[in-house]
Amino acid sequence: MDRRVAVTGIGVVSPLGCGREAFGRALFAGESGIAPLGAFSPEALPCRLAAEIRDFRPKDFVSIKNLRRMDRLSAVATAAARMALDDAGLCVTPANRDRLGMILGTAWGGTDVTVSFARVLVTEGPGAANPILVPNVVMNAPAGHASIELGFRGINTTVNHYGISAESALAFGAQEVRRGAAEAILAGGADVLAPFYFESLVRFRALSPLQGGGPEGARPFDLLRNGPVAGEGCGILCLEPLEAARERGTTIYAEIAGEGLASSPAPMTGWPGDPRGFVLAVRRALRSAGSAPEDVDVVFAAANGGIQPDLLEAEGLEMVFGLSAERPLVSALKGALGESFTSGGLRAAALALALRDGAVPPTLGLEEPVRPLAFVTGQAARANLRQGLLSGISHGGTYVSLVFSNIGAES
Amino acid sequence: MERVVVTGLGTLNGIAKSARTFALALREGRCGIGPFSVFDASEFRTHVAAEVKDFDPRDHIPPSYPLKRMSRADLLGFAAALEALRDAGLDPLPPSLAEQTGVVIGGGGGGLLEGERFFGDYLRTRGRLARFSALSAVYCASSADRIASLLGLWGPKTTFMTACSSGATAVGYARDLIRSGAAPIVIAGGTEPLCRITYAAFNALQAVDPSPCKPFAGNRAGLSLGEAAGMLILESLAHARARGAHIYAEVLGYGVTCDSHHMTAPDPEASGAARSMREALRDAGVSPEQVDYINAHGTATPPNDVMESRAIRNVFGDRAGRIPVSSTKSMTGHTLGASGALEAVASVLAIHHRFVPPTIHCTVPDPECDLDYVTEGAREADLAVVLSNSFAFGGNNTSLVFGRFAEGGRGRNG
Repeated sequence: MDRRVAVTGIGVVSPLGCGREAFGRALFAGESGIAPLGAFSPEALPCRLAAEIRDFRPKDFVSIKNLRRMDRLSAVATAAARMALDDAGLCVTPANRDRLGMILGTAWGGTDVTVSFARVLVTEGPGAANPILVPNVVMNAPAGHASIELGFRGINTTVNHYGISAESALAFGAQEVRRGAAEAILAGGADVLAPFYFESLVRFRALSPLQGGGPEGARPFDLLRNGPVAGEGCGILCLEPLEAARERGTTIYAEIAGEGLASSPAPMTGWPGDPRGFVLAVRRALRSAGSAPEDVDVVFAAANGGIQPDLLEAEGLEMVFGLSAERPLVSALKGALGESFTSGGLRAAALALALRDGAVPPTLGLEEPVRPLAFVTGQAARANLRQGLLSGISHGGTYVSLVFSNIGAES
Repeated sequence: MERVVVTGLGTLNGIAKSARTFALALREGRCGIGPFSVFDASEFRTHVAAEVKDFDPRDHIPPSYPLKRMSRADLLGFAAALEALRDAGLDPLPPSLAEQTGVVIGGGGGGLLEGERFFGDYLRTRGRLARFSALSAVYCASSADRIASLLGLWGPKTTFMTACSSGATAVGYARDLIRSGAAPIVIAGGTEPLCRITYAAFNALQAVDPSPCKPFAGNRAGLSLGEAAGMLILESLAHARARGAHIYAEVLGYGVTCDSHHMTAPDPEASGAARSMREALRDAGVSPEQVDYINAHGTATPPNDVMESRAIRNVFGDRAGRIPVSSTKSMTGHTLGASGALEAVASVLAIHHRFVPPTIHCTVPDPECDLDYVTEGAREADLAVVLSNSFAFGGNNTSLVFGRFAEGGRGRNG
């Protein structure tokens, strides 16, 4: 008999602050994490806005000794992992450490380190290559560093598949808990901004306002959207068997009731021409959760203000849930959080808080919806939420949807 | 619990460009490590690697598939995936199956070979003349995307990047996807190109042997890098049976653990490696006594081979010295992100063709490596259960267990 999967801890490093309470307060109050880019100068680039991590003091969460070996991405991921673990009230002991795991999604890894290493190689030749940088060049460095800091010795792995890395990590984490392979799994996603990476997004015309002109800004699902605003951050959930969490008497934010994964043929770096893959992923998630579309009260959409993906997702939601101005409620948090490509971790954290508190944060930047769905705009909506859908979509045609359930009404 | 079997194999690597010829090359102990031409290595301290010689994608991929902008990693991966599908009798895939077929890939350097060329232009011209589209395939997720898109697949898709254990983790996760009912068929594997950035990184760490690597030997002096793609068609037993597919072997189990010790150095106590083997055996429902062959991680770096030998002793006790253990990296080089999948292919071939691949170049004994490394050449053997190890930077360890397919099941759990 498969175990049920409880969300028992939330760790957040985000443009809306660090820790679940600060993050939740700002998000549900409708604050935006988007502001003029401050950490580095975009020089002559046409994009000036970003959602940068705010109020992050790594030393509050990570030992100085380990912090010295980490790049910024690893510090961010390790801090969020520590927060999620502490929030769950789990202690790492010799008795449980072999069954505590971490599955992290990162879309781009430590781009700054990779660029530094490559720059020396290209300009000065192999003899000058810096061995100190090597451990942080690999994508699995953040999860490796976190495991050393936390003392986790169970499953540790890293998903690196563009914009569904975080959702994919959460789906894998839920599956591992369900089949009894771990006592707890920290799962989520992390990515950070850096100069070359930001420039690449601009040159791929991946950001607002390069997809349509008009003012720069994130406008998910809006008719006048013209691309996402780049973001960064890390959201990590602690997942453990529901029964064990109940026995411990710890806070249970939500249950991950099911997940659905799908692909769709797509051009390289482009989007599929229709929402069929999206619909498949959502329906598979519902089937895996044993749910019907009517059970879903809220959708935390992946929409980021991009021309193609937002339309694709809106059409897909319409195909699954029908066109209704009442339900399910739909909110696209990338209007506040920007597009970090692994914001699925932060959005999952937000969904767990939403189910607990019966509230849905607004979609910032949305004025004229591309389809008449039940969008939450302006301010947070209060509602009794039974189930919520977290959707993840990526260029290249990959989809992961997760169904979160409110178990407050149970037992 | 749904059983999961291997019904197709595909590979390109330093010693073979198909699964069938890979079996022959493994049996004869062919060395693929030597001078190579993927990039100019003259300015490096070392000058050997195991490349896929004379790789022309069109020798493997029909002209109906457009290959524009695909990286070498993408091309190797797609060629091997096509071979595996053909081998499984799934080329072309019927539309009803394409809707459910998944792809799980373990990656490494991805498109860094092409990415570095771009980066050179970028630095030389201060960004003005660099074509950023050259970065389209720079991340290893591109390989899974190309396989799924070119074949028209609608099933689950994801990519792992955990350095040297990526390919093994991909195979394990694919097994779980099938078991959980998410897909009846998954193309699982890994792909890794030779590229200068990776070559520079391992040279900077002084981890590369200037001559072909000598796993478990007293005079070993580091690894040899290689490139490869290894792909397996994993399928639920019920599905494979229903369509009368040939079954190579069964995926019995896997284990993933973390050293939680150091980012690049293996844990000298070998705890993480031992635990990944134990976890894989537990998951497979087989006892250590049932293991007939261990395809070792066996990189030929001084610390790994001692650590791994110690871990095998810890897990298998007195019997450790009687289990053949070999490193096929002595022939294919260390293919990093692909290695776990390539060695999964080797393990399945060993079961199917009833032989133990040798460790070549291991002529000088090391008192700290005291197991049976099959140094005298391949051995004929009826292998019921094979364990394959992959250990990575970051302390990420993955072990896979494959078994000869038996009607009643192999493990204690039946």
